[in-house]
Amino acid sequence: MNRGSCLVWVFGDYGDYFQNRVTLQLIAKGKSLAAELDTRLGVVVLGEDIGQYVMEYAAHGADVIYAADHHALKDYDVELFTAVVASWVGIYRPEIFLAGATVFGREFFPRLAKRLQTGLSADCVALEIDKESGAFVQTTPAFGGDLLADVITPQHRPQMATVHPGTFRELSHDPFAIAELIYPPVPELPPRKIEVIRRRQERAHKASLKDAKVVIVGGKGMGSKANFEKLFQLAEILDGEVGATRPAVDAGWIGEERLLGQTGKSVRPRLLITIGTSGALQYTSGIQGSETVIAVNRDPSAPIFSVADLGIVGDADRIVSLLIEELNRRL
Amino acid sequence: MALTQSSVVSAHHNYFINGMLIPGFLIGNPDSTLGFYLLGDFLLPGESTPRISCRFFDENGDFLGELIWNRLRHNSTKCVHKATPYGFHISRPSGDLIIATSTKRFPNGYITSIGGRLYDEKGALKLDHEGSSARLGGNDAMILKAPYQGSLDREMKNE
Repeated sequence: MNRGSCLVWVFGDYGDYFQNRVTLQLIAKGKSLAAELDTRLGVVVLGEDIGQYVMEYAAHGADVIYAADHHALKDYDVELFTAVVASWVGIYRPEIFLAGATVFGREFFPRLAKRLQTGLSADCVALEIDKESGAFVQTTPAFGGDLLADVITPQHRPQMATVHPGTFRELSHDPFAIAELIYPPVPELPPRKIEVIRRRQERAHKASLKDAKVVIVGGKGMGSKANFEKLFQLAEILDGEVGATRPAVDAGWIGEERLLGQTGKSVRPRLLITIGTSGALQYTSGIQGSETVIAVNRDPSAPIFSVADLGIVGDADRIVSLLIEELNRRL
Repeated sequence: MALTQSSVVSAHHNYFINGMLIPGFLIGNPDSTLGFYLLGDFLLPGESTPRISCRFFDENGDFLGELIWNRLRHNSTKCVHKATPYGFHISRPSGDLIIATSTKRFPNGYITSIGGRLYDEKGALKLDHEGSSARLGGNDAMILKAPYQGSLDREMKNE
């Protein structure tokens, strides 16, 4: 490959921007992959009045931006987007194509992969170029999350993957950046089957987990809803937010909006205290960017201790009560 | 199917020209003393007001005036400059629009749209607009990737 080519692509998903940062995170990761392959990083942006997103992607490291600013693309539409992007892939033939595992990314990328007759690794937690073989290794949870599978796509192109928001860190905003901007031809579009009549913004949840510096996570080991409520006291003392694992959400102790992990949010706090959680991969994939992890579990062999910087073996509720008491005394 | 168009884009400020974002452009030669030119200067981070310069004529090729860095100069025909909340308008005494700019501010940058009708010294239409995007006549527009360093710069600094 050569520096003039642009063979690593990222799909520019600007829905819910600026909260949704996954495209910026993928640009950063894609750029490092592109450097390893001695090529450039391209971002694909479709929509109407997309100028500010094009500029944001340039500021965050895109080398090339492929854009279609078209009235017919003003709303996310999986059929129209598939038609346009598939035709561009046919023209430019990227080797790697990444998208965020957002609501739209999860709908769009499988359809695009089918159209392109290639594979797709969903909800990847790591992406690497194998130094020996040069293969693009996409690491994704498999078999219900009990295993991590390294997936390669030796024969078909592009090698496609979706990645959970928060898995990678974005590059800082560079207002001096300049990117190449290409407006490839837009093919004849199929008729739109869905017309968006009205958009209604859902009221923002109080939880701002993604930005929290401290996150307290409760699992089924908290034992009861009443015990789980204590986590909010602890979070308040530490100026943090509360998250939860799937079993705690399914038990009805807390709402889905605080779910962390593969099917929920990913967080990267400075401090994460995970209490009464076993450490299933579906959950830990959502906390792997945390700077410091403290785990509390009564089972000393619980997998959560393997990802923790500090482990406390003991009863979850008892430890939480002690922490609240001690912190209240000290702070 | 339309043809591929290509340009460059700045992370800070761009003009919306010919349906594309470009950080700066120049058509014609500002160093000539008589001919038409149009300059949308490249802005550096920290600058938020686009700098437009042009020498403009009417549809018969008669000189109307010159705009240097958004200010009307050599305005013998009494063209009118009017500031707006998002840019400015320049019109003939009759009220006919010559050029208008409008800059949209985003959290991390700016995009400037240009409208109006500009003619060169032969009466040929050099700038028109379609929706929010200006259309430049001819294929001689040069994309700027840095601030223009020609005579306009010297003239303004000498004031």
